[in-house]
Amino acid sequence: MLGFSQQSLTNFLFWVTQKKWFLITMVIGFFLSLFPTPSGLTLEGYRIIIIVITALIMIITEPIPLPAIAIYIIVFQVVLGINDADGIAHSFMNDAVFFIMGSLMLSVAIIKQGWDKRIALGIITLTGHKTKNIVFGFTAISAILSSFIGEHTVAALMLPIGMTLIRYTSPDKEKVRGLSAVLLFSIAYGALIGSIGTPSGGGRNVIMMSYFQEAGLSISYLEWMIKVYPLVFIQIPIVSWILLKSFVPEYKHLDTGVRKLVVQVAKSPEMTGRNTIAALIFLMVFLGWVFLSETLGLGTIALFGVFLYLVAGYVKWEDLSKNTHWGVILLFGATISLGSNIKETGAALWLAEQIVNLFGNIMYSFPFVMDGIIILMTTTLANVLSSSATVAVLGPITLNLGENAMHLGLVTAIASAFGYFTAVAAPACTIVYSSGLVGAKDFLKVGWKVGFVSIVLLIIYANTYWRIIN
Amino acid sequence: MQDDMKILIAVSSKEYSKPTLRVGMMISKAFHCSTTIVDVGEKISGFNTKDIGLAHEQMASWDFNRPGVDVLEWAFQYLADHAYIKPKMIEAGFPKNTLVDTGGHRSEVYLQGTVCDDVQLILRNGDIVAELRDEVREGHYDLTIIGGSKKRRMAHDLIQYIDSSIFVVNQLDLEIKYRILLAVDDSAGTEKAVAMGARVANAFGIEVDILTVSKKDNFGEGYKQAAENAGKVLESAGIQYEQLFRVGEPASVIKKEAGDNHIIIMGRSSQNPLMKFIKGSKPLKVMEDCSCPVLIVK
Repeated sequence: MLGFSQQSLTNFLFWVTQKKWFLITMVIGFFLSLFPTPSGLTLEGYRIIIIVITALIMIITEPIPLPAIAIYIIVFQVVLGINDADGIAHSFMNDAVFFIMGSLMLSVAIIKQGWDKRIALGIITLTGHKTKNIVFGFTAISAILSSFIGEHTVAALMLPIGMTLIRYTSPDKEKVRGLSAVLLFSIAYGALIGSIGTPSGGGRNVIMMSYFQEAGLSISYLEWMIKVYPLVFIQIPIVSWILLKSFVPEYKHLDTGVRKLVVQVAKSPEMTGRNTIAALIFLMVFLGWVFLSETLGLGTIALFGVFLYLVAGYVKWEDLSKNTHWGVILLFGATISLGSNIKETGAALWLAEQIVNLFGNIMYSFPFVMDGIIILMTTTLANVLSSSATVAVLGPITLNLGENAMHLGLVTAIASAFGYFTAVAAPACTIVYSSGLVGAKDFLKVGWKVGFVSIVLLIIYANTYWRIIN
Repeated sequence: MQDDMKILIAVSSKEYSKPTLRVGMMISKAFHCSTTIVDVGEKISGFNTKDIGLAHEQMASWDFNRPGVDVLEWAFQYLADHAYIKPKMIEAGFPKNTLVDTGGHRSEVYLQGTVCDDVQLILRNGDIVAELRDEVREGHYDLTIIGGSKKRRMAHDLIQYIDSSIFVVNQLDLEIKYRILLAVDDSAGTEKAVAMGARVANAFGIEVDILTVSKKDNFGEGYKQAAENAGKVLESAGIQYEQLFRVGEPASVIKKEAGDNHIIIMGRSSQNPLMKFIKGSKPLKVMEDCSCPVLIVK
């Protein structure tokens, strides 16, 4: 057949099987490009919407590596004339990308310092042996830490602590299924609810900060904390309670587990001067974020922290390079570029108008309806996509949905952390799932409860507390 | 099949894969095969590969195995319990520290075998068909042994894209005295299937039913010749056999004749790959319909 052997035909069919979503996406893109440009939208605006749709399908289905999707976004924006090559390159890199790069490297540097043993001891000292107190402690510590160092770092640090408690309580997994679920979910969900607390809690927050800046709005690190951190504190006990009600732990006290954990931790090396300096470097970074981020940028400060860890020799470049996901940074750069050009081409405004037309006056009849729509859109997308990519793409649209852009932007950033529903929705969830101690169904079982409560809380919170402090 | 046969045994968990590993190692012992046991773990989203890697490093620092290592450890224990690996390896225990990351979400560890020179344990992550295909291509395996899957698409993909013979263990019960159901026809794959059938029958002392199925009442010359040749091969190897000629739809006749006490052996389909992709094939239908063990010879 045209000189092709059966083997090459088989290889081709295998490629088709593996890349079917890529091919489907390209067909969808091609057919969309045949339609006339919708009224009120520029040709460039329509083209960028096609790129967004195709890129989103590929990010969700992953038929090709994520960096390849990033390259697709860059190349097609230039080829389809959305902007010239220099314009796309400029939109690709900003402080938010620096921050994502810096925070990913910082998390590697922090994990390499071996602070997990100290954290373990700290939690146990605070909570004692009662299971419900330990669950509350895990949720609280995960939340507080993740608001400064990122959810995936916290999940990676906390996971072995939780697993050790479980193992020492009973080596038979079947006898501690409830305990395993409640402890590991307290880590994952604690990390998620905390990640909204500060701009440095996640790349998505920084992306929203950069959109605020582009829109001429300003919010400092401290102002963000004042507006959002109380919600973290409100959620900690509620989420702990939901977890304890959803998964009944087999043991009310973890005496054996705690005792053995303390013994194991006691064997680890004492705190050294090196550890103190490593902690001081992070403290400097944090203070820089609080007091200098408006002039230096969150990303530059994060990178400065990485620089200090490298200069001090507390982390090797080889480790940073090996463990930093450069492909994801490339993709975030590309989605930020998409977000920026959605705005520039007028597509963001057009899409916002379509949402307004779709829902009509109901959006403005009650203050919470608009918030509800934004939260549902963001939460849905964040559960199938990365939360940062969700904010990068949705941010420019939601900011155009009403007059109070700051309110809408913060609601979008916060809702993007509601990745409770599946094991792959958020890095923290994937990390605890990778332990093999919780099942994929457990995420749905408890995720909808925590998700529902978080959504309701956010709507009430945004329409009461923010009005009071404003 | 050559003498220096290489087999790949795909396992997934200690709960479900024991029959697969047991049968795989019996075949390995019978044919003195170079053997690899592979566990393919779930595909990790591209967003999380590095985060998961870091988390697993953390877990290792607290003496926890990353997912999949426990499956290899269980396989090691099985090999040790049945003396498939050398005593000094058994004494040393599962060599977790020599589990080498070979890149592309693949790690491997070598063991010194008793029934063959080496036994390899491999951990992979990703799409199961793609990972098995890669492993078979890189390792030049002759036979892949898998537990079975109810998913039609996966069955199709395994038959179509894995470049080795495939033995689907399904519900193989070692308490049953099995016969081989050797399905023959005039296709190019029959000759290899007959040779393999003879080897398996010889190695395990199993009797054979040679089954020729025609859709029409009269059997073509090619079919008759195939059955006769198969009989000659088995006869020369001293294997007891019976000739069965049946009329009907091949897959349903094979299913009916196989019952629950036959191991089906048949050749790969010689159809054009595109037609197999669109319409399926006889081996695929057999694999889908039959709950007994099936060996598709390539």
